[in-house]
Amino acid sequence: MGKFGASIKKEFLLLIHDKVGLLLMYLMPILLVFIITIVQDSTFKLVNENNIEILVVNKDNGINGDSLVSLLNNSGSFSIVEKKNLSESEIQRILIEDDLLIAIEIPSDFSNNLNTKAEQISNTMLEEFGLIDDFETKELVMDELKLYYDPVLQENFKFSILSSLYSYMNVLENRLMIESLYNEMGYDTIPEGLKSSFTDNRLGIKQIVAGSSSGKIIPNATQHNVPAWSIFAMFFMVISLGGNIVKERLSGSFVRLQTIPSSFSLVLVSKMFLYLFVALSQLTIIFVLGKYIFPIMGLPSLAFPSNLIGLLVVSITSALAAISFAMLVGTYAKTQEQASGFGAITIIILAAIGGIWVPTFVMPEYLQLIGKISPLHWCLEGFYTLFLKNGDWYLLSPALLFLILFIFACQILIYIKLKLQNYI
Amino acid sequence: MRLRLWRKKRSKSWKRLNYNNMTSAIEIRDISKLYSKSEEYSLKNVSLKINRGDKIGIFGPNGAGKTTLISILCGIIEQSKGEIEYLKEGRITDLNSMLFKIGFVPQDLSLYSELSPKQNLMYFGSLYSIPKKKLQIKIDELLSVLGLTKVANKKIHTFSGGMKRRVNLAIGIINEPEILFLDEPTVGVDVQSKNAIMSYLDALNKKGTTIIYTSHHMNEGQKFCNRFVLLDKGNLIVDDSMESLLSEHNEESLESLFLKLTGIEYRD
Repeated sequence: MGKFGASIKKEFLLLIHDKVGLLLMYLMPILLVFIITIVQDSTFKLVNENNIEILVVNKDNGINGDSLVSLLNNSGSFSIVEKKNLSESEIQRILIEDDLLIAIEIPSDFSNNLNTKAEQISNTMLEEFGLIDDFETKELVMDELKLYYDPVLQENFKFSILSSLYSYMNVLENRLMIESLYNEMGYDTIPEGLKSSFTDNRLGIKQIVAGSSSGKIIPNATQHNVPAWSIFAMFFMVISLGGNIVKERLSGSFVRLQTIPSSFSLVLVSKMFLYLFVALSQLTIIFVLGKYIFPIMGLPSLAFPSNLIGLLVVSITSALAAISFAMLVGTYAKTQEQASGFGAITIIILAAIGGIWVPTFVMPEYLQLIGKISPLHWCLEGFYTLFLKNGDWYLLSPALLFLILFIFACQILIYIKLKLQNYI
Repeated sequence: MRLRLWRKKRSKSWKRLNYNNMTSAIEIRDISKLYSKSEEYSLKNVSLKINRGDKIGIFGPNGAGKTTLISILCGIIEQSKGEIEYLKEGRITDLNSMLFKIGFVPQDLSLYSELSPKQNLMYFGSLYSIPKKKLQIKIDELLSVLGLTKVANKKIHTFSGGMKRRVNLAIGIINEPEILFLDEPTVGVDVQSKNAIMSYLDALNKKGTTIIYTSHHMNEGQKFCNRFVLLDKGNLIVDDSMESLLSEHNEESLESLFLKLTGIEYRD
């Protein structure tokens, strides 16, 4: 066995003895990618696939309350649980004690008020057109619809329900206004076709994904989470590799290597080589899970980009960035605890500002700027360019350039430290 | 006072050993070492000629410069001044070519405790480019001689201190070195392990291996070494054969001689 083969074998043996490191590098990211994707996908389905249960307490004496409930029911976005005559405190108790997160209370004069408002608007219009004279406007005092919500409900979720509610209220108000106009003009009923056009004939919105081959890759929880958590997994090798370097240094093995006719770089290169294999195996496992296991679990399947060479290059560059960072921490840390503690906290911070957990565009501008120093941000940019935008080499180049610079910077700092310690 | 007394005698010691007639293993000429953050030299103009087959014990109190000297000779650190020549007659004079011929047993257990003795020896042996078959034979031989055959495949972190020291020694001699440096090889080991280590070193020396050894165990040094080198505060203050030195100072033990030459004050 040659020197390089022996070094690789030694690194491999050390790695398989590091059970905690292996769990952190393989099991933790797999669990994370599963859990986060399931959570995000369920949220997406909850909002978009008729799963939000809403308690409706319809106290309306007329028919408009029923019409609003019917619109919500037919929208396909909500599952309605109707209850009669509940007081405000009873509604709040149900929200706190039961699984329901949101409730709407329709006031008793809801129909009356909507009709009055519609009449007033139609009369104002007819007056403007010169079709009636001396219309007297009355000031309306309307009881509001009440929306109750569980305090655990997230703001964005609440706003999404509110916008749907406003949208259906608009439909109802417009229909009542047109009916009122028809009545004022002497028609008993409005044509059926016109009635249904309020709800059916709304202008559709076609959604187009921006990217080189638009429409081929549909962004979803899998496309977002699989690359993001794979990057996190790769960088978490700092616990294993960083600790491994500190341990070797402190044990005196590095000192012994200086007395052996072997290049110290061989040790470093063999470490890089083995951990490159580790990182690529992490990616492969998570990608295969995303492609073949996610669909079995009802999650969207991972769609691979068409630029597979680009994917390989981004994967290798990201892996080398993670390895270089881990080696840098291992070279500068004084103890194994320092390497794992500092390494783990740094990765969590770099992941947070780099957009692994939440997209960078929702962050304040200064944080977005700081986020650009995170290597995880550029790894994510590279993977998102491929997995979400199906991007080409031109789009990949900024991410690749930054990562290459980062790798060089880390290697130079490692060289300086080892030189100062007389290992090289 | 003592130091001055000894310095007068040192010239006699050099003459008595008659180095020029012996085959040199290492020649050290006026080496000094000043560490970057230190104001005082750790070694001051030390000159020494180590002959092939020597069993030299380098002794001295804490901070005397023993580890610094061995570290320079092994190539772990560089001297600030002076020259070193290795196996001059064999035409090897630079350290890089010499690394195949030297062995180093450091004071710290410089091994991979998660791995077995066999895996450690296989790794370090491969770095010397020893052919696989020859390496296997050598490993089996070393494990047998040092009483480690039964635990050859067990992880070292489960071993006792003495067993770990024996593995540490085995790694240092896997390349069958011509010159072997040992920095306190028996620290913290039981009598049986100490005996096994020192017996094996003696056997190696009889086969022609030059041994340069440091220790704080004076009795062990007295039994093992044929030449005594004493360092104090970076200066070489004694270099003589063990027997003549003891008789010259009328001392029976190396320990009493050591205290006589270096004083009884604490050294930190």
